[in-house]
Amino acid sequence: MKKLLSIVLAAALVFSLAAVSGCSEKQETLTLYTWEGMFPQEILDGFEKDTGIRINYVNFDYDETMLAKLQAANGGDYDLVIADDYIIETVIAEGLAQKLDLSKLPSYDGINPVYQGQFYDPTNEYTVPYGAGVQTIVYDPEAVGFEINGYADLWNEQLADSLGIIANYRVINGMALKVLGESYNTEDLETIDAAGDLLADLAPNIRLIKDDYLEDDLLSGEINAAIMYTSQVTGAKMARPSLEIVYPEEGIGFGIMAGFIPSNAPNPDAAHQFLEYILDPERAADCFEYLGYYCTTLAAEQYISEEYRSFLTIPAEFADTEMEMIENISAEADSEHALVWSEFKTLCGQ
Amino acid sequence: MNTFEKLRRKRSRSYTLASLPLVIFTIVFVLGPMVYMVILSFLTRAESWGVVAEFTFDNYADILEPVYLESAVQSLKLAFTTTIIVCAVGYPFGYFMAKLPEARRRLCVMLVMVPFWTSSLIRLYGWMIILRANGPLDSALMALGITDAPLKLLYTYPAVLAGMVYALLPFMILSVYSSVEKMDWSLVEAARDLGAGAVRAFLTVTLKLTLPGLMTGIILTFVPSMGLFFIADILGGNKVVLIGTVIQEQLMKVHNWPFAAALSVILMAMTSAMIILYRKVTGSKELEGAI
Repeated sequence: MKKLLSIVLAAALVFSLAAVSGCSEKQETLTLYTWEGMFPQEILDGFEKDTGIRINYVNFDYDETMLAKLQAANGGDYDLVIADDYIIETVIAEGLAQKLDLSKLPSYDGINPVYQGQFYDPTNEYTVPYGAGVQTIVYDPEAVGFEINGYADLWNEQLADSLGIIANYRVINGMALKVLGESYNTEDLETIDAAGDLLADLAPNIRLIKDDYLEDDLLSGEINAAIMYTSQVTGAKMARPSLEIVYPEEGIGFGIMAGFIPSNAPNPDAAHQFLEYILDPERAADCFEYLGYYCTTLAAEQYISEEYRSFLTIPAEFADTEMEMIENISAEADSEHALVWSEFKTLCGQ
Repeated sequence: MNTFEKLRRKRSRSYTLASLPLVIFTIVFVLGPMVYMVILSFLTRAESWGVVAEFTFDNYADILEPVYLESAVQSLKLAFTTTIIVCAVGYPFGYFMAKLPEARRRLCVMLVMVPFWTSSLIRLYGWMIILRANGPLDSALMALGITDAPLKLLYTYPAVLAGMVYALLPFMILSVYSSVEKMDWSLVEAARDLGAGAVRAFLTVTLKLTLPGLMTGIILTFVPSMGLFFIADILGGNKVVLIGTVIQEQLMKVHNWPFAAALSVILMAMTSAMIILYRKVTGSKELEGAI
């Protein structure tokens, strides 16, 4: 009896394997490698239905994991990767990305030029931006007794022990650099130290430093003002529309997520098809509303619904304001930032 | 060679064979990573990503920055405070637990172990909910009229301390318990018969006999509390900078692996010193009484 059972099981296994391999031979696949939850399910389903290409959605948690996998696969295995700007600079420098075939991307012109020609892909040959993180200040006007217009206002004594910030030292140290009128990307150690000295005065206002779910603390009243990631700002604003979102007068810092095709992608054609699919203005609008990041496709802005428009698109009056990306800097300057940051955190605890 | 010797040789050979998996495991998962870490701590950080094989002492020199030294001091301070509180609460707890009647004792052991069935991270989030502004504790205090405005309980040093004690208390309770449980009570009776008061009998007999359990509890509390940085992150709002916090940040955010490795070597040296001290104090070579 046992023998019979094992034969049946073995046979079933062989058949199922044959079925699977038979399937993959027939059907084209797109291996999409990015964070979890980057697309609404309808978009993924719609692409599969419209093109007949099956999507194999693979996740990573950190950009660094993606880079390591891509290095190990020598630019193969994955058809399309969506990751952060700074790591894409490394990917391109290591020759792990291939140039886009723009003839396959008719909607490429719809991309907002603000998010193009940036440090990680200065000639726009490798990437299609998909969502931008724009650094804003969020606060609860009922709990904060004055109007916040820029970073310098965060030093106000009225905010004592009530400010929450993300644990991202380039963003927070950068905030002090902006108050000093400096660039986010300065490599001058004395300037970075000066930012540290300025931050020391901010320490009494810091109630909380954390990366995950910072918006919950703003909503629960644990903090009254915050520097958060864009998706958190969107989440908080959706939960409580009375919150104020401020574009700091000192200038706007931003980061970009972008898609690129690895150098040895098995199916670059499917990757182009998918990029074109999500560049479609109406679909792009759906994607950005779902994602909660700033819309990088200018043509899609008109389709973004009223309730989201004020914080998923850059207001027109800021078009001329200096916007600056946080770029990779020298190891020495980066270590100085980390040192300044540790000193600041220590002061926050005292 | 007689039969007995042959048998012994054979046996020792099979022992060697049987211990092979353990040896391999230790080399691959303990010795290997440790050697890797020590080597890494002498290399140089690459300009953009990873490390370059250039020998340097700089990573150790960087630790002398006041802020990084301060993180080591903070870690020691938190570990000592935690251990003292855990001793003060855990020793009487374990002691009285061991003296309970059989059925209740088992129930007690069960209850002490139950929290281990869920992830420690989830239990910490539970603490966050309890301590948050307008949370259960805050509301209760306001309802009772003890406070009249929401308190700032979360993201403070006491909140971190509460979390540390909560996480590590069971280790102390269980080690003290097992040590008290196997104690020979007739020795205490003898001391009392010979005229010692209750306090004196406790100090000279009970405490001495349960010292190994207490010391094990101290080690099991102190050593992990040197490394438990995530409690300080979650309940302290990242404002208590421990050596573990710095290591994690240097590794995950700054990508300065050699410096993170150097800090880890120092952390390991600090905890090893504690274990050596333990051996000196108790004269024993192994952790005793641990379950």
